[in-house]
Amino acid sequence: MRKATETDLPGVGVRFDLETNAGRSVGVVVHQTGRRDLVIYDERDFDRACESLELTEDEGHTIGELLGGNPVLEHLDDAVHRLEDLVISWVTIDPKSSLTGLTLAEASLMSRTGAGIVALVSDSGSIPIPAGAETLESGDTAVLVGVPAAVTAATKLLTRPG
Amino acid sequence: MHSGGELLVIELGAVMLTLAVVARLARRIGVPALPLYLLVGLALGEGGLVELSASEEFIEVGAEIGVILMLLMLGLEFSAQELVTNLRRSTLAGFVDIALNFPPGFVAGLILGFDPIVAILLGGVTYISSSGIVAKLVADLDRIGNHETSVVLSVLVIEDLAMVLYLPIVSGVLFGGSVLSTAITVSIALLAVLSVLAVAYILGDRLSALALSQSSEALLLTLLGGTLLVAGVAGRLNLSTAVGAFIVGIVLSGEIVSHARGLILPLRNLFAAVFFVFFGLQVDLSLIPNVAVATVVIAAVTVVTKFATGWVAAGRAAIGKPGRARAGAALIAHGEFSIVIAELGISRENDLGALAATYVTILTLVGALLYQFSDSITLPALKKRSRTRS
Repeated sequence: MRKATETDLPGVGVRFDLETNAGRSVGVVVHQTGRRDLVIYDERDFDRACESLELTEDEGHTIGELLGGNPVLEHLDDAVHRLEDLVISWVTIDPKSSLTGLTLAEASLMSRTGAGIVALVSDSGSIPIPAGAETLESGDTAVLVGVPAAVTAATKLLTRPG
Repeated sequence: MHSGGELLVIELGAVMLTLAVVARLARRIGVPALPLYLLVGLALGEGGLVELSASEEFIEVGAEIGVILMLLMLGLEFSAQELVTNLRRSTLAGFVDIALNFPPGFVAGLILGFDPIVAILLGGVTYISSSGIVAKLVADLDRIGNHETSVVLSVLVIEDLAMVLYLPIVSGVLFGGSVLSTAITVSIALLAVLSVLAVAYILGDRLSALALSQSSEALLLTLLGGTLLVAGVAGRLNLSTAVGAFIVGIVLSGEIVSHARGLILPLRNLFAAVFFVFFGLQVDLSLIPNVAVATVVIAAVTVVTKFATGWVAAGRAAIGKPGRARAGAALIAHGEFSIVIAELGISRENDLGALAATYVTILTLVGALLYQFSDSITLPALKKRSRTRS
């Protein structure tokens, strides 16, 4: 593959060109305004844009990720989109918390706040999807999932006395 | 409001509606509207269909503002840094451009028996393509991504820069007295332009930050006030108001530019139209038959030389033949600068006005059409080609 070449477009922005192995030319015009044009060049006339697609800056980023990003990351990205209203938070359990030393079943965080603990992480290792018999040890990290308000409430219980 | 004022408003309304009809018509046919505004001006001027009475004075002031806003917008497109790098890279194309397109006008002027200085003006008229019209054609036809477009834009930038030196020099010569005093005026003018550009290069960011405001009203007034003031002072110093406004546009950079473009654009469109109408108004229709043959010859020659300029410049950038043809056709359109230059000499040589108005109209229409249809002429001849791969 050849490297992309960069050409100044005075007053407009910059154009990047790439010739593909299959013998086609493709380019991106980055406008000073942030607009991007995705350009496909003609098979007969390599200098002529036969298709020019106008994209906003955000659309450009998304297409860039789709084309070049790591597929696993893209998958995660997709999941985050679907869980848009959920928050994942890492909370260190405070010794002053009234929940410290209790088992998960005793603490019943889920019914009190609506947030669930999906993992416990300590120096000795991590417990994914902990059972009700696991205890909340001071200094360990609890991974919380829930809507923002629930996670905030659970975080308070795990970090403050009361 | 006294009755003269009402007549002024009525005339302006009628002129603008006429322009609106013309603009729609131009869009329908696919040609730029600006040269057609010139024709409207011709029709309304001396010896034309209808003569304006009350609004001429207003239109004259509007035309002055039109030049300033056109050049401000043009300057806003570029930063000083961009101009310098571009100048270094495309010097050769710039020289070819001058060598091919200045002489036709200059020689024609001498043959027509104009003053040498008026012949120099005519050389300027044929030399300078219209950045405004070409940029709009490129965008309208979705050809920004085309490879030859960078070449076309570079040539246009060099032409605009050349104007920054050319306009003060010819203004100095036109309005200067003896050879010595003219030489002094011109060198002061050039020194002033260069030092302002140097200041712009160094202080542009800070001045732009200073002018920026959250209130769009305050920003608009700052921009207009500052530009008119600088342009007016530049005009007083015989540096030409156009150059003053262009430099203001170059000085401004960063965040302020996008705001400024949005605010100035509608005003620019209005007053640029007024400017072309005004130039048409000044031209005596009865002079056009005198210069018709000369105009057609000069137009034919410079269509060829401009085309050759684009062809050569694009060839140097390793662009294929269809692309070279597009670059050549793109450079043919002439517009605002040609008229600004002709305006300088119209009081010395009446024929220059008639010549420039018809010349600009012909070149812009021919250029726009050639640029649109060059692909349908060149492409069918091409077969699918495959490049040899390394």
